[in-house]
Amino acid sequence: MKRLLLALFCLLSFSVYANEPTATTAEATDKEEFSPGEMILHHIGDSHEWHWFSTDNSHFTTYLPVIAFRPGQGLSVFSSRNLAEGKVYDGFKLEHEHLVSEDGSKVYDFSITKNVASLMLSAILLVAVFTAVARGYAKRGSGAPRGIQSFFEPIIVFIRDEVAKKSIGPKYERYMPYLLTVFFFIWFNNLMGLLPGSANLTGNISVTLTLALLTLLITLFSSNKNYWHHIFATPGVPKALLPIMIPVEVIGIIVKPFSLMVRLFANITAGHIVTLSFISLIFIFRNLGVAPVSLAFGLFINTLELMVAILQAYIFTLLTAMYIGGAVEEHHDADFQMGGGDGAEPAHAHGH
Amino acid sequence: MATDTPPHPTPDPDNTDRLRSFARYSGIGIQMLATIGLSTWAGYWLDGHYQTKTPWFTLGLMLLGLFAALYNVIRSVTKGS
Repeated sequence: MKRLLLALFCLLSFSVYANEPTATTAEATDKEEFSPGEMILHHIGDSHEWHWFSTDNSHFTTYLPVIAFRPGQGLSVFSSRNLAEGKVYDGFKLEHEHLVSEDGSKVYDFSITKNVASLMLSAILLVAVFTAVARGYAKRGSGAPRGIQSFFEPIIVFIRDEVAKKSIGPKYERYMPYLLTVFFFIWFNNLMGLLPGSANLTGNISVTLTLALLTLLITLFSSNKNYWHHIFATPGVPKALLPIMIPVEVIGIIVKPFSLMVRLFANITAGHIVTLSFISLIFIFRNLGVAPVSLAFGLFINTLELMVAILQAYIFTLLTAMYIGGAVEEHHDADFQMGGGDGAEPAHAHGH
Repeated sequence: MATDTPPHPTPDPDNTDRLRSFARYSGIGIQMLATIGLSTWAGYWLDGHYQTKTPWFTLGLMLLGLFAALYNVIRSVTKGS
């Protein structure tokens, strides 16, 4: 796999060097106004309407409902078609995709935006897929899996054996529903974000914030005495140092989910920006020589994103499991290889 | 514990361990970055809020963040052994 990527990269770099002269001459003749930054930010951001694509003279857009609440004036529900192209409706207008009222009063925006609509679609998809998988188990029991069930079984087993058991230890079963949900939610939404015209859900910091917050809450609520003892009276630390050590430990609690949030957001957003940048090169240079190169690069990054999609879902799930594992860890639980050092054996060797 | 699960082919242990370490250590790196960044930002905000002449909050919290980051890295790396 690594060798293949390396070969692909070398191949693509060669074609870039070959095309460099044409690219620079094209730059000089470029006159049209095209702002790649604006286009990219529009693509990765949320919006009140779902813009699919545009042709030279028309746009293909699905207008989503706007649901807004103003204190004193109550709830307003209307189609975002009324706000399209900077129009004002019922005292509302859109300022850089941000719903504001004309007189500057406070607006609480509960609209079904593109991301919310995409979230609902993915929720329906996830429920449909996993009820089908669950039906397979209800019908066939522990017999050989069939159809869609046989595709998901190894993944579920992998999450259970390699992620949950190794990181959490004997109490892993209670956390399996959350770990599986978070894994498949992130994976499916990462993949859906790669479809043309789709929303960038997992590259939205509010979504990753919510996921990280859930991880934080689950970690805190499943923590045992031992976990808090390590934070407020770290063993082996002199009493005089505790005023410094307690803030350090508390920072550690907050930073763990924070790093989860930033990682997922940054990885997915960066992937989208790089792909869109390569596509933008075509419109910047308007040159036949550039198009195949930037298309090849864009395709390469997009293919890489397919791998990043599952890798980021895995990393989020694994680190969540490790944080939970740290919180439920018993005092001397060396048998279960907490935190999963290198070469950690499966915790339940006798189970096989 | 789950003793009633049917036997299944386990993935290559060497490979999954490598993936696991990769995820783990990349997590530690980002955590270090986030610790320093968050505490520096908090200090910067506090200095702006209290209009301090010398940015003591920025300095102090940045150093605390640096210390916390190093401490957490050392602790999570030595924990496995």
